[in-house]
Amino acid sequence: MNMNIKSIVTGIKNGISSFLKKFRIESQTLLLVGVFAVLIVFFSLTEKGFLTTRSITSMGFQLPEIGLLSLAMMITILIGGINLSVNATANLAAVLAGFFMVKFIPQGAAESQIILYIALALLIALLVGFISGALNGLLVGYIGASPILATLATLSFYTGISVGLTKGRTVTGFPEQLSVIGSKTLLGIPIPFLVYVLFTAITYLLLNHTTFGFKARMLGSNPTASNFSGIDNKAITMRIYILSGIIAAISGILVMGRTMSAAYEYGATTYVLLAILIAMLAGINAGFGNVIDVFISATILQILSTGFHMMLAGVRGSSFFKDFSWGILLITIFVINYFTRGRKARE
Amino acid sequence: MLKKIVKTNEFVTFLILVALSITIGLINPAFFSISMGFDVLRAAVVYCIMAFGVLLVIISGDVDISFVAIAAMASFTTHMLLIKMGYEGGILLYYVIACGLGLLAGLLNGFIISQFNLPVFNVSLATMTMWYGFTLFFIGATSNFDLPKGTVGYYANFIIKVQDPFVGEAGLHVSTIYVVVIGLFVWWLLKYTTLGRGIFAMGGNRELAVRSGFNIKLITFVTCAIVGVLAAIAGVTQGLLSRYFNPTLFIGQSLLDVLAAVILGGAAITGGRGSVIGTFLGVILVQLINRALILTGIPVEWQRFVVGVILILFISIPALHERRTRRLARTTELAEE
Repeated sequence: MNMNIKSIVTGIKNGISSFLKKFRIESQTLLLVGVFAVLIVFFSLTEKGFLTTRSITSMGFQLPEIGLLSLAMMITILIGGINLSVNATANLAAVLAGFFMVKFIPQGAAESQIILYIALALLIALLVGFISGALNGLLVGYIGASPILATLATLSFYTGISVGLTKGRTVTGFPEQLSVIGSKTLLGIPIPFLVYVLFTAITYLLLNHTTFGFKARMLGSNPTASNFSGIDNKAITMRIYILSGIIAAISGILVMGRTMSAAYEYGATTYVLLAILIAMLAGINAGFGNVIDVFISATILQILSTGFHMMLAGVRGSSFFKDFSWGILLITIFVINYFTRGRKARE
Repeated sequence: MLKKIVKTNEFVTFLILVALSITIGLINPAFFSISMGFDVLRAAVVYCIMAFGVLLVIISGDVDISFVAIAAMASFTTHMLLIKMGYEGGILLYYVIACGLGLLAGLLNGFIISQFNLPVFNVSLATMTMWYGFTLFFIGATSNFDLPKGTVGYYANFIIKVQDPFVGEAGLHVSTIYVVVIGLFVWWLLKYTTLGRGIFAMGGNRELAVRSGFNIKLITFVTCAIVGVLAAIAGVTQGLLSRYFNPTLFIGQSLLDVLAAVILGGAAITGGRGSVIGTFLGVILVQLINRALILTGIPVEWQRFVVGVILILFISIPALHERRTRRLARTTELAEE
């Protein structure tokens, strides 16, 4: 009898693991989906307003900014680095694009003309992302500075440019058409969310289905080995940081479109730490990690934030409970990972 | 002996410090005054105390970022508790309770890190978020300006006072003594105890340290506990010096300032290298850079930019230098073959 139960249990276990292998689902993804499902069930049972179109749409508007920053963070952690300047890059891109629109769009310009100017401004933002990323790549890849220090310095540098240009003030007065990017929906789906999904998909394809992605993983898991296999570590580092800068700049564009303003201080250090936290939750480390996990992790944090905000509405300081819950959740995931991975190692 | 000193990282930091001071002094002679010196020291006190704790973690080859949150949690919780109890006494009880809380928070870090075999950075990121959230939600979300009677005069409690031609009377604050005592303690710990040697061994080569019989778990526990206690001391000191207690103490730039100070002081972020005196010089350097910008008349809005440029230079030059030495070493090796 006992043997029977045991064999059934092993059978189920083998079944699950072969299922996971077949569809290439990692245990981390499964764990995160589990947490995601538990939270959805919990909050929809306790909060009436949680699973409504309105609250889901509002999450769809809030999530992309931090989601994209996490993505920009994640790819640098994947190659064994880090990018503390993601938020500074996003704000610099927004500030420069905003400056361009405020200074150069003539009074009483035609609709089509304004749209052309907005397109140019967005191009400027992307260019800023590209250059910022290239400077990080230069410092980390070619000069050989430690990623933490190099991006810490550029964090100050990029923020410094934003502060200097804006004199610490918020840039406003953008054309109305810009708000399409940040606060309109397409077929009921928020446009920022569509942008976010698009870039998550692009990054996924780049990392998982190209030689570039493969080389980046190699570099992350063992730089010496990758160097001896003929991979140009410096060039890969450079490209990853440029990609990181561009993704960060897109996040800046979304913020600009949603708030219709650009400020050097938006998100501050909190966003940087949050982006690292999301990457940690997704189990990213040098050489290993999946874009999908980052996507789910960012969603989980958003759900916790929205859910507790609803639950504790009216309690003083309620918006700070989410920080507490994020910390606890991260530790819990670490501990669960320790046990599941430890068991695998022992087997 | 002299040659050995000249070659150290600490000496380079010292030279940069001297060069920077002379430059500022030439642009604005008001810089060379005793009151300015006291002012820099006073501002450096809390950063030094925190940096000494972080130094231990960085030498052991990892980075802790939760100390800022522990400082905020310990000092603010202690303050609110004592105010609620109607406490009217002096500063001693503040330090005792806060150190207890800091110790507990440090031990929690140590427990999670050593029990589940995790990097300090990952765990401290989680506990940092958690402690700020805890303090803001459970203790209070706004700064508190009430002070017990016994602590009111503390902010102006000077060891020595001097007459200064520019600003009148200036004094060296008592809390400078804490820096000296804590600095000596950490120095002794690193130089003369097995634990300290273990911290260096861990940072140099973790695997080798384990094989040579160092108790990695114990070392992690103790360093985390020390970081927690020092953070609590820094938090209370900051509260007493500024005469208010703040649940978001040190949130944002302070964390980066402390880390930058330790690194500028010659500690290697990869572990195995670092010193107390270097860290002290690093903290002073960061304070001077911040002050230099005001004294030299660079417009306020461009100051962060200049800090960024200075940091990029400070980081690039040693990295380039190291790269060159490595290449030279390789060439000699090849030539010998």
